[in-house]
Amino acid sequence: MMNYFPDEVLEHVFDFVTSHRDRNAVSLVCKLWYRVERFSRQRVFIGNCYAISPERLIDRFPGVKALTLKGKPHFADFNLVPQDWGGYVQPWIEALARSRIGLEELRLKRMVVSDESLDVLSRSFTNFKSLVLVSCEGFTTDGLEAIAANCRFLRELDLQENEIEEKKNLWLGCFPDSCTSLVSLNFACLKEINLVALERLVARNPNLKSLKLNRAVPLEALQRILMRAPQLVDLGTGSFVLDRDSDDSETYRKLRGTILKCRSIRNLSGFLEVAPRCLPAIYPICLNLTYLNLSYAAGIHGSELIKLIRLCGKLQRLWILDYIGDKGLEIVASTCKDLQELRVFPSDPFGAGHAAVTETGLVAISSGCPKLNSLLYFCQQMTNAALIAVAKNCPNFIRFRLCILDPTKPDPVTMQPLDEGFGAIVQSSKRLRRLSLSGLLTDRVFLYIGMYAEQLEMLSIAFAGESDKGMLYVLNGCKKLRKLEIRDSPFGDMALLRDVGKYETMRSLWMSSCDVTLGGCKTLAKQMPRLNVEIINENDQMEFAHEDSQKVEKMYLYRTLVGPRKDAPEFVWTLV
Amino acid sequence: MGRATSSSYSSIDSNNHQSLSSSSSLSQLKRDLSTDLRLGLSISASQHNNSSTPRVQTLDYPPIQSLVAEGNECNDRATFFVKVYMEGIPIGRKLDLLAHDGYDDLIRTLDYMFNTNILWGAEVDTKHPEKCHVLTYEDEEGDLMMVGDVPWEMFLSTVKRLKITRAGPC
Repeated sequence: MMNYFPDEVLEHVFDFVTSHRDRNAVSLVCKLWYRVERFSRQRVFIGNCYAISPERLIDRFPGVKALTLKGKPHFADFNLVPQDWGGYVQPWIEALARSRIGLEELRLKRMVVSDESLDVLSRSFTNFKSLVLVSCEGFTTDGLEAIAANCRFLRELDLQENEIEEKKNLWLGCFPDSCTSLVSLNFACLKEINLVALERLVARNPNLKSLKLNRAVPLEALQRILMRAPQLVDLGTGSFVLDRDSDDSETYRKLRGTILKCRSIRNLSGFLEVAPRCLPAIYPICLNLTYLNLSYAAGIHGSELIKLIRLCGKLQRLWILDYIGDKGLEIVASTCKDLQELRVFPSDPFGAGHAAVTETGLVAISSGCPKLNSLLYFCQQMTNAALIAVAKNCPNFIRFRLCILDPTKPDPVTMQPLDEGFGAIVQSSKRLRRLSLSGLLTDRVFLYIGMYAEQLEMLSIAFAGESDKGMLYVLNGCKKLRKLEIRDSPFGDMALLRDVGKYETMRSLWMSSCDVTLGGCKTLAKQMPRLNVEIINENDQMEFAHEDSQKVEKMYLYRTLVGPRKDAPEFVWTLV
Repeated sequence: MGRATSSSYSSIDSNNHQSLSSSSSLSQLKRDLSTDLRLGLSISASQHNNSSTPRVQTLDYPPIQSLVAEGNECNDRATFFVKVYMEGIPIGRKLDLLAHDGYDDLIRTLDYMFNTNILWGAEVDTKHPEKCHVLTYEDEEGDLMMVGDVPWEMFLSTVKRLKITRAGPC
């Protein structure tokens, strides 16, 4: 019946189909739908920038307005990917600029961005509105100057965890006086900022809803900024310390009064430096908070932290440091009944084993917060009994990432591996999409994962398993697997080569310090021309022979429609 | 058990090792080496690490970005990476000696890294025929010396690289 409708009607119907996956599915129905869908698609997500080329993107989706691109593999976050590996945005921006694409939004993750790219970006798209850079590198404040100066309708500039070289401190002043359209500004990852320019910018942008400051913004300035922007919904404080020289009580009183007027704040983060005695100033907004991120607030701990948490009854997402301790987590459990996401970060990850949270804290949370669906938990230890209890209390996990600081630690009570515990989690959380394992684990845990984790899309494995069977259970069982990343585990060629077609159904596979050999990788590359099988070989000892029996240090393979990449550095070999 | 085997490649960051110019740089260490450096006494720091497995800081674990790990502190922790070779294996590892409290701690890490039992110090003189590996080091004069004879701090000031060799006929 649908085929008798004119294209405009189809297009209108497709407007209601917004998720990438749904639109991808729509485009597969028939040629007509493919055609209508491609011309009407405005938002495109490319999970691996090397899977496709900018030219093909432009060709298929000439109407694209919003683009997301991801570059380096996830393990790059943990120093496992060398510098200069790749992930350059320049060719994308150049190609888009040359075309007649009216790009308005660009979101990049783990990509290398140059000042030149930012400059071209800022000058090529008149309606450019939103730039979000997450874990990117390669640019300086010069690039930010170009964005500020040239993007006349900029609404969003969100810099998350990037490595930015700070040259002159002028970029914020490059926003022209006519810039009044800002809705979101995040520069928390920078060290410096021009305070005067910042205050002026905030004053003339009344639609600002999200503002994340950096360490260089003192409390006095925060107070003045909040005076101008009581409409903020999302606030990241910079430094939350009163300058010794100023009149403490006066400033504090003003701050408290100003914050009382900020009735819209729902998300709070920052506190990169904090004097706990100033914290009561934010108590009035705590009861409205739905997201609290104290993962950078090493200065808030002990009773101050508890006092704060007790006021946040409506929290749905909480990110904290493990200073909170098991006792503190019990208080979270009794206070935050709507909690859906919890992240507990280690305050001393490489330290002498003093992680302050254990299985006790996690069980408490699971008891008190049954809506919990997303977890990232760095802890000292974990037991099977605790994981089984958590699985029972919280059957709704979508993301479950557990990181025991000692990666091969068994259940300290029974000295058993944690297979049963994780098995309980995957069996009970039928909608689990992302899982990270740790602790002592045998092949059995992978048997459970293969059997029960039907929706699993991303799996991270480190120092786990006993044999190829482990990896095979996962590859055979997890039909929706998209990303698999493995390090320091005894999986080799047998597992790698058993089902080579599987990798075309996935985005990527990373294996480092495992038992796969050069020969195995070569075989795979030969059999699967639409995979790029890349070997990263950093050792300067190039004189040893490249024998097929040699184990490969790091292998990263991914499906692609455009063949081996041409920008691979010397230490990356693409096998063919 | 998923342990890194001795033939697996290192994923350790190769930092240039910092020469130990002054005892003050050591005293700024996050880990409190409560030993009197000047007197070279071999009182090892209190064993606050009670776990039986060694720290895996040198293996890029736990998976956390340094931004959050450092928090506010901006530690410029001194590091001193040396190469470690095991006899018969061409590919070496690297180890941060300053991340360890003393010989016991170092041996634990090496045992774990190379999946073996290493004799050092007094143990070498006793009879343990089944334990075949001995830890030696190359000092600043280029000589190969047995590890464990001198106080830890003195060892740190002269060691250039480590070598794990076979003890005797095995």
